[in-house]
Amino acid sequence: MADLSQLLINGLAIGSVYALAAIGFVIVYSATGVVNFAAGQFVMFGTFAGVAMLINARLPWPSGYGAALAAMALFGALFFFVVYLPLRKSPIVTIIVATVAVGITMQNVALLTFGSWPFRLPSPVEGWTVTIAGTVVPAHFVAVIVVTAVMVGLLWLLFYRTPVGIGMRAVAQDIQAARLMGLKVNRLLALSWILAALLAGVAGLMLGPIWFADVNMGDPIALKAFAATIIGGFGSLPGAIVGGMFVGLSEVLGASYVSSAYKDLISFGIMIGFLLVRPQGVFGERIQDRG
Amino acid sequence: MRVPFLITAVIVSAGVLLSLVLPDYHLRLLNLSVVSAIALIGLNFAFGYAGLISLGHAAFVGMGAYGLAILTTRMGWSPWRAMLVATTATAAFAGLIGLPLLRLKGHYLALATLGLNVSFYIVAANWIDLTGGTNGISRIPELTIAGRAIAGERPFLWFGLAVLAAITIVAFMIHTSRYGRAMIAVRDDETAAAMSGIDVTMTKIAAFVLSAVCAAIAGCLFACHVRFVAPEDFSYAHSITYLAMLIVGGESTIVGAILGAAVLTFLPEWLRFLGSAYLAFFGLMMLAILVFLPSGIAGLGRYLPRLRSPTRAAPASVSAKELGP
Amino acid sequence: MSILQARAITKQFGGLLALSAVELTIAAGEFVAVIGPNGAGKSTLLNILTGLLMPDGGQVLFDGKDITRLATHKRVRSGLGRTFQHGRTFARLTVLENVMIGAAIRGDRTERAIRDAALAVLDQMGLAAEANESIGSLSYGRRRMVELCRALACEPRVLLLDEPAAGLNSGEVDQLVDRLTELRARQQLTIVLIEHNMGMVMRLAERIAVLNFGRKIADGPPAQVQADPAVLSAYLGHGYNRASV
Ligand SMILES: Nc1ncnc2c1ncn2[C@@H]1O[C@H](COP(=O)(O)OP(=O)(O)OP(=O)(O)O)[C@@H](O)[C@H]1O
Ligand SMILES: [Mg+2]
Repeated sequence: MADLSQLLINGLAIGSVYALAAIGFVIVYSATGVVNFAAGQFVMFGTFAGVAMLINARLPWPSGYGAALAAMALFGALFFFVVYLPLRKSPIVTIIVATVAVGITMQNVALLTFGSWPFRLPSPVEGWTVTIAGTVVPAHFVAVIVVTAVMVGLLWLLFYRTPVGIGMRAVAQDIQAARLMGLKVNRLLALSWILAALLAGVAGLMLGPIWFADVNMGDPIALKAFAATIIGGFGSLPGAIVGGMFVGLSEVLGASYVSSAYKDLISFGIMIGFLLVRPQGVFGERIQDRG
Repeated sequence: MRVPFLITAVIVSAGVLLSLVLPDYHLRLLNLSVVSAIALIGLNFAFGYAGLISLGHAAFVGMGAYGLAILTTRMGWSPWRAMLVATTATAAFAGLIGLPLLRLKGHYLALATLGLNVSFYIVAANWIDLTGGTNGISRIPELTIAGRAIAGERPFLWFGLAVLAAITIVAFMIHTSRYGRAMIAVRDDETAAAMSGIDVTMTKIAAFVLSAVCAAIAGCLFACHVRFVAPEDFSYAHSITYLAMLIVGGESTIVGAILGAAVLTFLPEWLRFLGSAYLAFFGLMMLAILVFLPSGIAGLGRYLPRLRSPTRAAPASVSAKELGP
Repeated sequence: MSILQARAITKQFGGLLALSAVELTIAAGEFVAVIGPNGAGKSTLLNILTGLLMPDGGQVLFDGKDITRLATHKRVRSGLGRTFQHGRTFARLTVLENVMIGAAIRGDRTERAIRDAALAVLDQMGLAAEANESIGSLSYGRRRMVELCRALACEPRVLLLDEPAAGLNSGEVDQLVDRLTELRARQQLTIVLIEHNMGMVMRLAERIAVLNFGRKIADGPPAQVQADPAVLSAYLGHGYNRASV
């Protein structure tokens, strides 16, 4: 029986990854209204960008991580031009199916490039351990939690302390008004996609050493990020964080205390429960349409 | 009523003709198209008419298929009786879950039905005593008519076409009835529909239950034909494929549903020369269709009448932004 | 005897008090206009009368029965009809099918009877020639007439109209006035009209209620309301209001 504090750290680390994926998803949703079903594949790309730079190109980790994130930023911009711009006025289902379709392409491009054999992406703190309250845990887990906390802090600074971030929030709130205020709306929308891709990149790099890098990892991540988003509240950043942590913890604790086969049923059950009873989630705004 | 009968006759005779000339492997694909078309006519009620974005349609197909598989292999029931019960049970489940679920709209409903499909998959893959887990259930008996099994691709195709024809005609009858109009009205404008005396909730549930009935029938046919079911056949990826088929077929029409099912089932075959790059290409091709042909294949036909009456308007569409909370 | 009654209706949107203890009593057969400046709460009142919004306080009575919590479609089935301020028709249905939606309200009708009833309404309102047109091919004014036909096909006893003349040209407005007058003469129809077009209001209304900032500030015969200083100040703004007090 693994002891509780180890499970908690483990759950929070996985939850951090889900939270980052969910935050990227939410940023894109609030700014552009797109429900990005390829969000999980974004994270998978992040992991494989790490594989390409650290394993294939044998870069040392600081420059490897940098190169991987730069590649992700480029990919975010590409997605903006190729998928978002042509479809921005389409009905929501069209966008859902389109992002799924692009996700299928992403998954299979990865398959063609890297093959179906999983990779083990090393962590910069490979093999190190940390002792917390008498329990020994891999340093990578702690690093993931710390990095996520730092990322959240940076995001907060971006959104509340820089003109660019404040502009992005203005676009998310009312695109028409933002346009009238003279903001370069398209550039800010593109930035939202780039930011989402970067966050997915960070999530992917951190997830690589926890799971194996596998081209099929995108779907489960997307499903967890969706659950996190609904539970926390659609469109809410604090909600994405809390939801991600909740899903990570329920997965790890559920696997060890309830049943490893049904561990995922817990988060999806709770997600459906929230949708039925409180669709605005923990932090979301009340949903109402005008009569 | 003449046009639908004509269309149905064309589809069925095309199918029968093909059954005489195509090799067995293609017949197999044709059979899968017919089964998907039946499921899609169902999804067309929910999504095409009533506008309910369901990402859980494959779960209903799966419930039909597993219901029949379990009742025939575990309880020794005849496939016909099992089909009736499995379909009824799926419909009842859809009605029960629809009651709370269908208050949700847009992407909320999409994610809730997605969660439903994922949950179905998890249960089907893990409740080993009942479902055989990931190994699935094999040795499902064939359907029989007057003591003769509907075995082999060709006879099954004839039978499948007969079922498809029957369902198509029923679907057309519903389409032109007050119930079909009510569904379309609910999708166009829920508030105005309620203000015209339509019970919006009941209309949505009816559309959802109808979609589940068609899905379950498709699932039962699938189970009896392939004679083996496994969770993989009913994952949420299939639900998305169904939606994609409906959009490719186009324009929320019954004919579009049938076309979409056939085209997307045969597509991998037509694109075989791409080899392992097929799926990577498929995603981009779907994207191109959505961008350049948003009203699908059936929408192409619209260009002809449009030349005659240029004022004909495109159906109203709601953009993602408007549906946001 | 009152057929429709709003009792002390209060409605709040966040910090905004859209309706504050509004009373409105409509007698059977009456033609009442509800007027007021933009944002006064007129449409909100209709939304509450038709059950599209729930009031925070107060009651709605129809035929003396409390219908405050009754679902919209049930109110429609018991005789409440309505059109919307911005015109809401079903884009994927033809003109005839739009009206057939309303005519299907009687559950015992066959498909043929539904069609005949819808055609009769279209005929009466002068839209028969466009029956098989798609909604998209109609002008905005014609579309609003289709919406009115759909509401009439529901065979209402009380018809609530939210700015039916908005967006219509003057010919269409005259036509609308004629049709409404005819309807009243032919059927025992009670009509509540929200309208900014004062010419139209004066030609049709037997009584006028005025809303301003969610409060009813006047209610009476047109001549009396027209002369009411509170109404003038509501329309002319605060400066006048302060000066007159
Ligand atoms: N669903 C809603 N949520 C929030 N505020 C609302 C909602 N509906 C109306 N309001 C607000 O309530 C007030 C009254 O609106 P209402 O539409 O009833 O006015 P109105 O008298 O119909 O005006 P108009 O003549 O412009 O149609 C307005 O300030 C409006 O912005
Ligand atoms: Mg109004």
